[in-house]
Amino acid sequence: MAKIIEIVSASAGYNNEIILKDINLEISDRDFVGIIGPNGGGKTTLLKLLLGELKPIKGKVKRCSKKPNESLFGYLPQNTNIDKQFPITVNEVVLSGLLGKKGVTGRYTKNDKQLALDVLQRIGITDLKNKPIGELSGGQLQRVLLSRALISNPRLLVLDEPNTYVDNRFEKELYELLKELNKEMAIVMVSHDMGTITSHVKTIACVNRTLHYHPSNKISNEQLAAYDCPIQVIAHGPIPHTILGEH
Amino acid sequence: MLNTIANFFEYQFVTNAFAAALLISIAAAMVGTYIVARRLVFLSGGITHASFGGIGIGYYIGINPILGAAAFAVLAAFGVEALSQKMNVREDSAIGMLWSVGMAIGIFFIFLTPGYSPNLMTFLFGSILTVSSSDLILLLILNVVMVSFFIIFYKPILYLAFDSEFAKTQQIPVKTFSYILKGFIAITIVLSIRMVGIILLISMLTIPPTIANLFTKRFSSIIYISAVVGFVGAIGGLLISYNINVPSGATIIMVLVTIFAAAKLVKYIIIRTQLRGV
Repeated sequence: MAKIIEIVSASAGYNNEIILKDINLEISDRDFVGIIGPNGGGKTTLLKLLLGELKPIKGKVKRCSKKPNESLFGYLPQNTNIDKQFPITVNEVVLSGLLGKKGVTGRYTKNDKQLALDVLQRIGITDLKNKPIGELSGGQLQRVLLSRALISNPRLLVLDEPNTYVDNRFEKELYELLKELNKEMAIVMVSHDMGTITSHVKTIACVNRTLHYHPSNKISNEQLAAYDCPIQVIAHGPIPHTILGEH
Repeated sequence: MLNTIANFFEYQFVTNAFAAALLISIAAAMVGTYIVARRLVFLSGGITHASFGGIGIGYYIGINPILGAAAFAVLAAFGVEALSQKMNVREDSAIGMLWSVGMAIGIFFIFLTPGYSPNLMTFLFGSILTVSSSDLILLLILNVVMVSFFIIFYKPILYLAFDSEFAKTQQIPVKTFSYILKGFIAITIVLSIRMVGIILLISMLTIPPTIANLFTKRFSSIIYISAVVGFVGAIGGLLISYNINVPSGATIIMVLVTIFAAAKLVKYIIIRTQLRGV
């Protein structure tokens, strides 16, 4: 499998405060990495480092594009930052996933609009196309934001807690969809929900000021303790449980 | 009535006032839609009032008060950011501080300026009938620059307003665009002071987009409708104030609020009829 991105002994943080120290992580095609760790442990900082929003203070983040015009990332941020009353339609939101390719002055072509239709169909929300986002439910909005992340057909899909503020039905559908998407692209997912992490991801990265990579989706409390990653219980088995971490 | 309107147009200052109302409505529609959508109304209120400091200093040192206002407006727009990001003051507190400090500086220097300041009321409450040709030229330049900017960069403006974190991941220079737009907010505010004055200005920016937003959820349509609503409100207010001899700025705001109330009623009736139809 070809490498997509490689973080080599990188340290990162803000205003001279180091949040992540000396971390290594390699993501290749078809990987499915679950990122866990306590709040304030640096999960978001790690995502920013991956997405190139934050430059490492020390070390390197290598991006390995195969083609010059390739879309490397699709990003699904936590939807708590979205203003639901903002005057914008579903179609406009989804098309914005192409901005990186279009540049600041680009116009959408017929082909771009077809891409939007295709991705809406794949996610099953074609009927919402012209709705303002203010009329959507939490699960519908999350589907729209996922479509925005997917429209550029990225090699790596980055998800930041996709299962907060959505209903159980959508959560189930989401994981089925991710399994399907993982056949085409690598996925990195931050989650607090250990049950779903262990039943859906392939490997785990424990992030708490530094990063411990665990090359399997089975992880024990002892291992978590050794990684200094204080999250309480793990569920194995076919039925995803919801287990709350430490508060 | 028709006769009055015909008489009304015989004067150069009336023609100027109409042109100013049109140009200010277009600029205010763009800036207003942006600040309402991005929830920057309080910041804009702060910029507006802080600009009074520049007017006071302008009087005191004897330069055009509008230039002083422009300098203070831009300083306030970026001062809020400096205070909140570099000096760790909470943003709304920083806005509140600059808002009143600007007003205080204005009052201070106007008090120190010898003699009576006849145009003071113009800046506080607006006086669109005193718009000069050079004011019009400035407004025209602002409109040309801003309309071109909004057409060329419509997408980055829309998406950074909607979700700036995501826009950053799409290689949009979010910081640069936010600075430019803040500059536009400051300049539009200063050039609009003529029409309704510092005290009433924020309604000229916020009421038209709020009315438009009742009927459309599309950012671009809100700009178009706001421009029309703003112009209708300005002209309506002007005609009424001329006929019953009351201050025009306040009348314009009253007309806009009346349009809002009527629009809300129409919207309510539309929804009720649709519900009954189902």
